[in-house]
Amino acid sequence: MTDLLQLLFAGLSQGAVYALIAIGFVAIFTVSGVINLAQGEFAALAGLVAISAAGGGMLLPAAAVLAVSTVAIVAVVMERLVIFPVRGMTTLVSLILTLGVSTGLKALMLLIYGPDAKGLEPLFPGAFDLAGVSIRYQELLILAVAGVVALAVYWFYEKTLAGKSLRACAEQPVAARLVGISLSRASLLSFLIAGCVGAIGGVLASPIYFTGWESGLTLGLKGFVAATLGGLVSVRGAVLGGLLLGVLENLTAGYISTGLRDAVAFFLLIVVLVARPSGIFGRHAEARV
Amino acid sequence: MSLEVRGLHAGYGRLPVLHGIDLDAADGELVAVIGANGAGKTTLLRALSGLLTATAGTVRLGDADVTGLGPERLARAGLAHVPENRLVFPSLSVDDNLVLGGYTRRRGPAAERSRARDRALALFPRLEPRMRQAAGTLSGGEQQMLAIARGLMAQPRVLVLDEPSVGLAPRLVGEIFSALGRLRDGGLTLVVVEQNARAAFAVADRAYVMDRGRVVLEGEPATLMSDPRVTAGFLGGGFAAEVPAPGPAAPRPSAPGDGGRR
Repeated sequence: MTDLLQLLFAGLSQGAVYALIAIGFVAIFTVSGVINLAQGEFAALAGLVAISAAGGGMLLPAAAVLAVSTVAIVAVVMERLVIFPVRGMTTLVSLILTLGVSTGLKALMLLIYGPDAKGLEPLFPGAFDLAGVSIRYQELLILAVAGVVALAVYWFYEKTLAGKSLRACAEQPVAARLVGISLSRASLLSFLIAGCVGAIGGVLASPIYFTGWESGLTLGLKGFVAATLGGLVSVRGAVLGGLLLGVLENLTAGYISTGLRDAVAFFLLIVVLVARPSGIFGRHAEARV
Repeated sequence: MSLEVRGLHAGYGRLPVLHGIDLDAADGELVAVIGANGAGKTTLLRALSGLLTATAGTVRLGDADVTGLGPERLARAGLAHVPENRLVFPSLSVDDNLVLGGYTRRRGPAAERSRARDRALALFPRLEPRMRQAAGTLSGGEQQMLAIARGLMAQPRVLVLDEPSVGLAPRLVGEIFSALGRLRDGGLTLVVVEQNARAAFAVADRAYVMDRGRVVLEGEPATLMSDPRVTAGFLGGGFAAEVPAPGPAAPRPSAPGDGGRR
């Protein structure tokens, strides 16, 4: 029982990181149909920037802010240089383009930060015991921050004019243009959101899971699977998908074999795509939100 | 505000659809554009509202030349387009649909926005009790009303509508068109594209008949109604007497009562 609780808790905090990266996939895909394969690199880059800033003596919160702002700028520049100029973007074209960006970012990170994976020191080191379950403060921090960010994103889409205008672009692009919403600005805004949430995920994960130039690949794939579990179109689905994936991974690693941890995501992906292409939480043929 | 279209050419890629359209709508006039499927009516509206870039010709809105402006600029300049099939934002509430309709006026005074909203709701009181409901759950008629109300939230001077009657019960069609009549009486300029010529003629001040990308007839609804080419093509009676494309050798149906108009 204690084992189970321990695995569940570890799974939830890891899943919260996947959830943040998944939100980034959803934010961009709903607005422009672009699947951003560089989403994982956003997280890895943020982790590396934070590690090197903190290593240079910067306070942890300041290093985190620097990391998130850097990635936000990278995301916005990427949108203007690579996504915006393409006329008649299709999802397939977007995969090829963003794969290129992802490879470029990886090479850049390797050049700047070197080949070794490092860990950010945790903001609150240590752990405590609760009913026999060992809980690290960093894991609590991940859950708390991810929860606040997810709620903020949800509030943005539900309550603000800018958020509603993004949903309008996602649901009826032609009508959105007719009421005067600029699709170009919407796409830029969606990359900004994806950059910020992905970066927050990367910074949060770094003290526990380590970050290297290659970390973006796994993080991005896990985030993509989480988003797909939610149908790739809903923030709520992405969050639930991330948490589910994190928990299943840890249960598999704990009860079956640690070697199978990374296989869980792809097994899930195949099952969902075959059985319920609109996601396990999505209704069929649901409008893109 | 008046709308003046001169020699408008437009199309999709290398496929030309409009071949030199001339169309006028005076300030406060309700103009109907009728024509069969594929006549180019929707393309005309898309070119008017900037969704499609015209390849030649000019569009003037009041005193301003608005040729080539995108939909965002045109909405700000005072032209609102109520698209075919309504295209409401389905997961958003009726209220939010209206709020987004006023997107181009978001930095304007709040009092003006709430006046526009009151006017739109006064025109379609049925929307009032549905404000919190998702727009996708409305009936077809209510969605059409919402689409028009959303267009009005931009506080337009010229409103263009694409097939507002499509898929609606006759009673609702009457309701929608009488609302358009009231908007005209309030001073708004309207251009309505319709396949349902009878409904459009009931309120229109003037009408154009389009065929294969050209305007082939123009006149008052009452005179057009008795024109055999129109009665045959659009008011029931079959498509035997198809409206011929204008040209030197185009044969004209020699029906009695055809006074050689145009």
